[in-house]
Amino acid sequence: MMVREMKKMILSCLIAVIFLFSGCENADNNNVDVPHATKEIFAMDTYMMLTAYGEQAEKAVDEAVVEIKRLDKLLSVGEPDSEVYHINSDGKGTLSEDVQLLLEKSSWIYNNTGGTYDITVYPLMKLWGFTEEKQSVPSQKEIDKVLGYIGFDKLHYADGEISLAENQGIDFGGIAKGYTGERIMQIFEKYDVISGVISLGGNVQCFGAKTDGSLWKCGITDPDNPQDSNKLLGIVSVRDKAVITSGGYERFFEENGKTYHHIMDVKTGYPAKSGLRSVTIVSNDGTLADGLSTACFVMGKEKAVSFWEKHKDKFDMILMTDENRIFVTEGIAGNFSSERDFERIA
Amino acid sequence: MHKKNVSYDVILIAVFMLIGGLIIGFILLSSHKGKSVEVRIDGKIQGYYSLNENRTVNISSATGENILVIENGQAYMKDADCPDKLCVRQGSVSKDGQSIICLPHKVVVEVTGNESEKKQNSTDIIVK
Repeated sequence: MMVREMKKMILSCLIAVIFLFSGCENADNNNVDVPHATKEIFAMDTYMMLTAYGEQAEKAVDEAVVEIKRLDKLLSVGEPDSEVYHINSDGKGTLSEDVQLLLEKSSWIYNNTGGTYDITVYPLMKLWGFTEEKQSVPSQKEIDKVLGYIGFDKLHYADGEISLAENQGIDFGGIAKGYTGERIMQIFEKYDVISGVISLGGNVQCFGAKTDGSLWKCGITDPDNPQDSNKLLGIVSVRDKAVITSGGYERFFEENGKTYHHIMDVKTGYPAKSGLRSVTIVSNDGTLADGLSTACFVMGKEKAVSFWEKHKDKFDMILMTDENRIFVTEGIAGNFSSERDFERIA
Repeated sequence: MHKKNVSYDVILIAVFMLIGGLIIGFILLSSHKGKSVEVRIDGKIQGYYSLNENRTVNISSATGENILVIENGQAYMKDADCPDKLCVRQGSVSKDGQSIICLPHKVVVEVTGNESEKKQNSTDIIVK
């Protein structure tokens, strides 16, 4: 009798232990019940990752990939068949709906940021070699010449047509990924995705919250350790937001012991030196977030903050200065954490 | 008769305990299995290589070659015939979720296989 009870006890212990362990495994992956799809794709000269949860996640992600390829073909400056390539080589063209939208958004950012974000920067990017593999510092004479072509206010567009000034060229590189992300969010919505996150070359957009209802934790790259995902500037937790960073550490080259990054100040013709190392924009509007990350980086802290004060309903931001001080605007300060000190801007 | 019964039960208990031990051992081992790298070309998985075994992996894609070296639990790109060689400059990876990406060759080398480390790494996605 006693032995039989012992047997029972051991058996139930065994079962309990097995359940315990299988329980742990399930806790690791709380999304196990919801169908999900993940895809990576190389496009727009970068690496992209798309993840969606929902009954039609697979369809949503597949259509997103098709959309990325379509926009890449439309907006690429190097692809000899793209709309932007034709506009640049002909100096004029008929606008597609997408390019029309991008022009309108570019115009708003240009006019409201004192021209710090300007799609006509293209000839300057070319001069420095940032459109190619090899970069070098141009002469002041060359820079002055190219600066003469630059200016969004010099191009004209109306009734679905665009015409550029002489020697002008446009490049939507500063907002194309943000716009693409926004389009993907619309596709996710169409397919009733319940939760999703995408990274288009480090430009992140979150759809909804995570499947367990908690916020997406977005780790912001530390400019001192851009390759190390364990060392971060900080973490911002969001839902339904684009989180986009601009920093001089992303693309740069060295010449005679000096480094030159790819974020151009169209006023000087040189890489922007505004006292900021990194600017992160958090916004519902992916296109705006992308453009503003560049604009605020060029503006510097003071101007960026006064710009934010006027438009705080549209976005929030995280700034890191050359002295490694971190500033976070009030809208997201409660959802930001960092191992470093940071100050709140209200 | 009675005595024989007891010894039979002892054997049964021992067998149960052995099975239990094996199951627990298996679960423990599988959840703490060694890490490996997953090599993908243009999104398609080409292979998994354990980080516990030193070796050199030649990754041939449609656009070129990358030489991946696994050494002392770390993986790094030793050489590549891509124009920018950013993958080589990137250094070594060993922690779960870390990756080496070669854009020109569409090659991704990603560390996988240790869920507990992934949980510790408290972010869902990295903004660059």
